[in-house]
Amino acid sequence: MPFTFKSIKKKMIAFWKISDEVARGKAVETLEVELEELDHILGILVLGVFIGLPSPPMQISLELMPMMEKELILMMEKVDTANEPIAQLFSTLSID
Amino acid sequence: MGKGGVGKSTSAALHSIFLAEKGYRVVLVSLDPAHNQSDIFERRFSDKARKVGSNLFVIEVEQERWIKTYLKDVQQQINRAYAYLTAFNLESHFKVIKHSPGLEEYAVLLAYKHICKAYADFDFLVFDMPPTALSLKFFSLPSLSLIWLDHLLALRREIIKKRDLITKIKLIKKEYERDKLLNKINEQQRDYQDLKSGFETMDVTRIHLVLNPDKLSHAESMRILDRLDELDIKVYRIICNKMQGESSCVKIKKLETIPQIKFPASRIPLIGVSALQRFLKENRDAAAKQL
Repeated sequence: MPFTFKSIKKKMIAFWKISDEVARGKAVETLEVELEELDHILGILVLGVFIGLPSPPMQISLELMPMMEKELILMMEKVDTANEPIAQLFSTLSID
Repeated sequence: MGKGGVGKSTSAALHSIFLAEKGYRVVLVSLDPAHNQSDIFERRFSDKARKVGSNLFVIEVEQERWIKTYLKDVQQQINRAYAYLTAFNLESHFKVIKHSPGLEEYAVLLAYKHICKAYADFDFLVFDMPPTALSLKFFSLPSLSLIWLDHLLALRREIIKKRDLITKIKLIKKEYERDKLLNKINEQQRDYQDLKSGFETMDVTRIHLVLNPDKLSHAESMRILDRLDELDIKVYRIICNKMQGESSCVKIKKLETIPQIKFPASRIPLIGVSALQRFLKENRDAAAKQL
């Protein structure tokens, strides 16, 4: 009996941990997409001059550029999804 | 400041010699790409201060050199940050960037900051400003940059807040190092704020508006005044140059409220230190008002 109770308890704790992780993951999913978009916006605002957009005075862009590797890579990745922005939005909002 | 040809460079030279003769240690800095001070003093000047008389030094700023040095520095930082991009020959891209709009006035600003720091122990730094358009861009640059930096700062803070929230929800024990990008934006904001305050404070920056008794000169001076007003920068004094007889210096009400000095047209070319000193002697009363 104690053996069975212990194993049930162990399984319940494992189940709880997994559920907790899944729930936390779902809770931040939208936040993470939002964060990525904010990083992308920052990248476009600062470095947009290199893709023909109005931008800050050149020296601001140049001096921040060495610290914006992540944003630069993100901008280049976004080129892949640029043709299907609606598909990405639907995926984020889990709309089938 | 003033319309081209009104005598900005000569006025700056006269002002510098006057102050130096009064015993003040003066650096006259030409920010004008036309490099008129070399013609006025009849000697070659460069980015290195050259002594002219006992208390006076003269510098002529080479904008091209400042842009080159600045871009080289940025390129080195980018090379260090993105070492894997060295194969892509960043140098060739930077050759094009040096022609970007905005870098010219930034080069003037860099030279200005450097000189203010390097010669802080001097009594006066007299700047012979570039033509009106570049001068106004120079004075506008801190305010314009601050508008962008305020916005970028707010955006970066929002990003950090959301990142911290995600970290808390996911119970990740990861501690992010202090955000380098945020620090850099803050640093730039502080620099531009200091510059802006300096321009707005008349004890730090005394702008002399040089004009001649003609309509075009007055019209441009009004435009300069209006733009400086928008930036909360006040004109310290008006120098009425090349005056004929006892004619009134300024006829526009807005300009009348600003203290004025009248200098007559010189009979001889004001070239060389002796000619400048003689002119100051002949116009002692007007010259005395420069203090």
